[in-house]
Amino acid sequence: MAPTFYPLASLSQIEKTPSRVDGIPEDLEEDLRAYGCKLIHEAGILLKQKQVAVATAQILFQRFWYVSSMKMFGIGDVGMGSLYLASKLEECPLRTRDLINVYDLLQQRAAHSITSKVVGSSSEFKYAPMSYFGNTFYDIKDAIVVHEMQLLKRLGFNVQVVLPYGTLINYLRLLGLMAQEDACTRAWGYLNDALQTPVYTLYQVPTIVCAAIYLAARHLRIALPSQSPHCWWELFDADWEDLWSVCGYIMRLYRERSEDERVRVIGMISKKGVRNWLEKYALNTDNGQQS
Amino acid sequence: MSESTAGPSTPSRKRSRWQNSDDNDHEEDQQLIINPAKRRIKLKQPASSAAPPNRQIPKYPVHSVYVPPRTYHPPITPSRSVYSYERLNQIEEGTYGVVFRAKDKQTGDIVALKKLKLDEEKNGFPITALREINALMACRHENVVGIREVVVGDTLTQVFIVMDFIEHDLKSLLTLMPSPFLQSEIKTLMLQLLSAVKHCHANWILHRDLKTSNLLMNNRGTIMVADFGLARRYGDPVGVGGMTQLVVTLWYRAPEILLGAETYSTAVDMWSVGCIFAELLLKEPLFQAKNELELISMIFKLLGPPTNNTWPAYSSLPLAQTITLPPPHPHQFRQKFQYMTTAGIDLLMSMLTYDPDQRISAEEALEHPYFTFVLFIARSCYKFNEVHRESPLPKHPDLFGSFPSAAAGEKKRKVFDSPSAPARASDYKVLTEFDM
Repeated sequence: MAPTFYPLASLSQIEKTPSRVDGIPEDLEEDLRAYGCKLIHEAGILLKQKQVAVATAQILFQRFWYVSSMKMFGIGDVGMGSLYLASKLEECPLRTRDLINVYDLLQQRAAHSITSKVVGSSSEFKYAPMSYFGNTFYDIKDAIVVHEMQLLKRLGFNVQVVLPYGTLINYLRLLGLMAQEDACTRAWGYLNDALQTPVYTLYQVPTIVCAAIYLAARHLRIALPSQSPHCWWELFDADWEDLWSVCGYIMRLYRERSEDERVRVIGMISKKGVRNWLEKYALNTDNGQQS
Repeated sequence: MSESTAGPSTPSRKRSRWQNSDDNDHEEDQQLIINPAKRRIKLKQPASSAAPPNRQIPKYPVHSVYVPPRTYHPPITPSRSVYSYERLNQIEEGTYGVVFRAKDKQTGDIVALKKLKLDEEKNGFPITALREINALMACRHENVVGIREVVVGDTLTQVFIVMDFIEHDLKSLLTLMPSPFLQSEIKTLMLQLLSAVKHCHANWILHRDLKTSNLLMNNRGTIMVADFGLARRYGDPVGVGGMTQLVVTLWYRAPEILLGAETYSTAVDMWSVGCIFAELLLKEPLFQAKNELELISMIFKLLGPPTNNTWPAYSSLPLAQTITLPPPHPHQFRQKFQYMTTAGIDLLMSMLTYDPDQRISAEEALEHPYFTFVLFIARSCYKFNEVHRESPLPKHPDLFGSFPSAAAGEKKRKVFDSPSAPARASDYKVLTEFDM
């Protein structure tokens, strides 16, 4: 069967994302992307949603930031919109009310984790549900619909996603690693974690799968042919430079983050938080408002 | 080829350094290679510096066909505005929305714009519209109407699917054309239809609304499957999340859906294909029933009532108990299609088969003797290996006739337009009025 062509970010889109144009630094954008994807992931678990839908949502979410700025759209809203959209795409639609409640819970819990740290008190987290017919609910519901439409429009309705899991199984079998359960689990885990990075919008699936296997093999000290004329990843048409870069993206997720960085990210779930931060810290924004 | 494989970080410069090396130098290259593992230790390095410098240049093919060069993938591009197109005329209006003929302002191409109805939506973008767009994008094929893009209007409720403009639909063509399609033409049309259906099924898409009015035909003898408004993905096992019975236009609906089966698969499309095949032969729809019950009795009449052999699962279907089977009688295909060849009847019967598991698949149907050039028959009544041509052969699409397109606003020309005798001035006006 012919290969599927899924959208990948172009060179110019990678070099200067809309958020960077709006003055959001690269590391902040990366952290916000990762946090947005983490929220999608957590919401997916609480909603008992299928992993295919969650993974699709995360990939759409990542694509979105190559055509839109975080100053214009909040990672929370876009995350909800992409999970809502991806669930339809994967034939397991969500109820808006469930989605709203779960995101509300996650945000309250995140906010609580900041305040409890700052105050130093270890008060237990208590979720306060929103009113059933309140304005908040209908406002968020409208926001979901609007952001779903924005995703579709800004991605040009090109919402096909190719997930890596089948390819991983194929490659592991070819490499004779299927018997080693820990290698499979680990590689599978790296693929899932990679969903919190932009790699699925930057590289083709075989490259990402090779990177996951590569990391798993390194951590478990499994020897694979890696001497230059016979590199195993070349069998799967992965380029070393690309594979290496994917590994870098994945490993950066695990780096220790300072308390400030964590608080900073949680405060920017909505675009309002991003704008406040920009006003405070960004000096060289290119918008004409300061002139 | 190697240039086109370059991804964002693939240094084509490095490759070109080695491109000139001939076979003799090659031996040296391999010895010069520095162990890449040594360079992998520092993880935070930028990607390019971590590359082993002496990469072996792979001889062709550079990439497997399953891993196309990265540049083959499209960039992330937002939808264009509907104002990139100039509206020409309205083609048709249905429950799903309106279809316009339009012209691309940049390229001058004539396209069909399908406006989606989104006003009454409470749950965001309708899942059916998503399925339609996705199915069209997933099933690109020469016999599936090509989707060009999806454009948006000023507000978020205006969404248009841009498709290739095709002159006719098969339904109106069948009613308007003076004589039915020839056997050779029917074979070509069926081959095209079957290859499109095979392609959709191979991409895990069920069309679920195949009928002659959803088959478009251009003036070059090619038909294209259109209107994926009811299409959806299916999986293995089928029917995850439940499937609706409210699919397929009644006349083309497979018996298992009629009897309330909760899961169904590619076979429902093949039943519709069988109905279309019969319609092409008869020049009118095969089962013109007014309701479900009448349709079932018409099917029973043509195929003979189902038996344990022809449909083992029949009695377990939800609605089977509510139906009283008529007394058994043999099928009536031969009486209905008197001038059809044996192979043709056989193909039709394998499509219009009760049991979805026994029903022919699109892939198998394409290999059916009805279409093949020469058929070897080794049966007792014939001589061994007597060559039997299943004539006529499928007609080449280029040899099809063309027709005025109602969708493009063209009118039928008068068939015999011989010049008239010189008329007196007073009569001239009357004559032209008569002509109109």
